[in-house]
Amino acid sequence: MRWRNAWIVMRKDLDEFKKQKLVIGSIIAMPIVLGVVLPLAMFVPMVTMVPLERPYDVDGLLQIGNLPDDASAPWTNQTVENASFNATVFNHMTLMNTHLSNCIIDSCVLENTTVMDSTIQNSSLSSSYLMNVTVIRSEGTGLDGRYILAVSSSLVFTKTKPSEIDLVLPMMFNMVLMIFIIVPATLPTIIATYSIVGEKNNRSLEPLLATPTTDGELLAGKIFSAFIPSMGSTLLAFTLGVVLLDVVLIPKVGYPLLPNITWILSMFLLAPTACLMSVLACVLVSSKVSDVRAAQQLGGFIVMPVVVLMLGVLSGFIFLSPVIICVFAGLYGCLDLGLFYFAKAIFNREKILTKWT
Amino acid sequence: MIICDGLTKTFGSITAIQDFSLTIPDGCIFGLLGPNGAGKTTTMRMLSCLIRPTAGAAQIDSLEIGKKEDAQKIRGMIGLLPEVPGLYETLGAYKNLDYFGQFYGVPKQQREESIRTTLTNLGLWDRRSEPVGGFSKGMKQKIAIARALIHDPKYIFLDEPTASLDPAASKTVREYILELKSRGDTILINTHNLSEAERICDTVALVKNKIVKVGSPKALARGLFARTVSFTLQKIPSTLMKDISCLEFVSQAQVKGNQLVLNVRNPEEDNPRVVSWLMKQGLQVQFVTEEEHSLEDVYLKLIEEGGQ
Ligand SMILES: Nc1ncnc2c1ncn2[C@@H]1O[C@H](COP(=O)(O)OP(=O)(O)OP(=O)(O)O)[C@@H](O)[C@H]1O
Ligand SMILES: [Mg+2]
Repeated sequence: MRWRNAWIVMRKDLDEFKKQKLVIGSIIAMPIVLGVVLPLAMFVPMVTMVPLERPYDVDGLLQIGNLPDDASAPWTNQTVENASFNATVFNHMTLMNTHLSNCIIDSCVLENTTVMDSTIQNSSLSSSYLMNVTVIRSEGTGLDGRYILAVSSSLVFTKTKPSEIDLVLPMMFNMVLMIFIIVPATLPTIIATYSIVGEKNNRSLEPLLATPTTDGELLAGKIFSAFIPSMGSTLLAFTLGVVLLDVVLIPKVGYPLLPNITWILSMFLLAPTACLMSVLACVLVSSKVSDVRAAQQLGGFIVMPVVVLMLGVLSGFIFLSPVIICVFAGLYGCLDLGLFYFAKAIFNREKILTKWT
Repeated sequence: MIICDGLTKTFGSITAIQDFSLTIPDGCIFGLLGPNGAGKTTTMRMLSCLIRPTAGAAQIDSLEIGKKEDAQKIRGMIGLLPEVPGLYETLGAYKNLDYFGQFYGVPKQQREESIRTTLTNLGLWDRRSEPVGGFSKGMKQKIAIARALIHDPKYIFLDEPTASLDPAASKTVREYILELKSRGDTILINTHNLSEAERICDTVALVKNKIVKVGSPKALARGLFARTVSFTLQKIPSTLMKDISCLEFVSQAQVKGNQLVLNVRNPEEDNPRVVSWLMKQGLQVQFVTEEEHSLEDVYLKLIEEGGQ
């Protein structure tokens, strides 16, 4: 195998594509429209519907957070359970299973409590949910919270309760990620059928076969010329999508969510195996069909294993976790091997010239 | 040297070519002539290592066409012009030639030079980047021929090279083929154009799914036909045909208008005797010409016979 020859075949194919502005356009546009524009169109309204937090103003918050000297303490040295309070000052209290908002809490013990838009000082917290709270000189574990401004505190946050956005985001990401698997499996049907059926109809395979290039090099070249642009434009859209989704979501969640391990595994394991499966399916189909459109449709049909995954994800039956990604990548990899074996068997000079109609 | 030994190719129940055995010496132009479906293209494809023979073998420079390792070397030595030009229609002439130069492993500089010279000779240098899809059939054919020669092959296989060319272009191609021969290249041509074959081929093989006859165009004609001489007379009397039967060396006589057409054994000796006999009869001889048999006559006669 002289890779150089395969490389020349690919360069030639790509050179031919360059002239097909429509083909090039759709190959670049499709992943961006489906993987970037569409998800953003879904995310931006969702993200803006969740009320925006007020901007952090450390000085201002500290001011709110410092207890006024004359703060009266209507509740002291008591234990409160299963209650709800608004705009109340607590001092030396134990609060359990309680909901507090707009409160000032000083020297208390909080357990299983939800605190919002409040200030907590010199307290001990456990298993509570804090939202938009300023915490001063306190300590706590098992906390879940958002927009926390902690000052001189030792707080250990672990998620106890997922927030609304935490529930929706994984589903959303799951769908968007699916697009980055379907797209690379679809693009080769445009390219591979074109590069093989086109050459077949044009009868340009015979002079090519008359060169010292071997069958294997030719097959490799044809695989590259479909695989590389498909994965290339997918990767481009993937990068763009990750960056833009982060840009939209960072103000909400406070840190970049993407790319996570699932996305990375998907992009570099599952997408390539799905793409290769589609390329090989198209090679097989192209040998039997002499109409580009028919080949594209049949090629799409053979990508069934990807459709199965898609249906599983859309119906919520399959959740794209790193393990699932690896399982499917392995499955597709095996299918790829089988298809490659068949493609190699039919991609031979004599068959191409005498049997490919 | 190309040595074919019993090359046979069948497609299912169809025998495209059977028992094709002959030797093509280096430095000659060898023509394969035959009607449509005679197996010419099939033979050429077998020799180019594109398809494998069903039976038989062939060697090119003592490399076996059936062996995988040899086939690759053979393909590198051959320049093939297929039946259909099969150019990359969206690419320009330059790119078409350049990619093939790369497939044949021609170094970059040599490629550039040879493409420039070829395209300039073809008058296409200025249009080198235009998509060849827009070119005429003949222009495409010329580019396809140039493509077959890009790596300066020792063996050149041309499947109907002048099929779509105008007379002037055909002539250019023929002259080019002769020039290639003078450089010592070996050329195998498939053609239907008999006058062309007659003009440029050293040897032709008439095929019709098997070899019907091999030889130089002249020798083929000689071997097939008795030599015919026509005597143009001012006037032919009606009794002439009866009288002429007394000349024992005339095997066949015919009157066409004011021409007397005779088959004679040996025109060099017999013609003067005919002329003096005619003069004795009081007839005036205006012209004496030997009728040449063209390859076309040979072809039609042999193919008809070969078909039975
Ligand atoms: N791939 C194929 N499958 C089946 N039969 C074939 C195939 N290729 C050629 N044949 C048959 O082999 C025979 C010889 O075909 P070939 O193309 O070699 O003829 P040819 O002499 O080149 O004819 P033409 O002058 O028309 O080009 C024909 O009967 C043809 O139908
Ligand atoms: Mg032919």
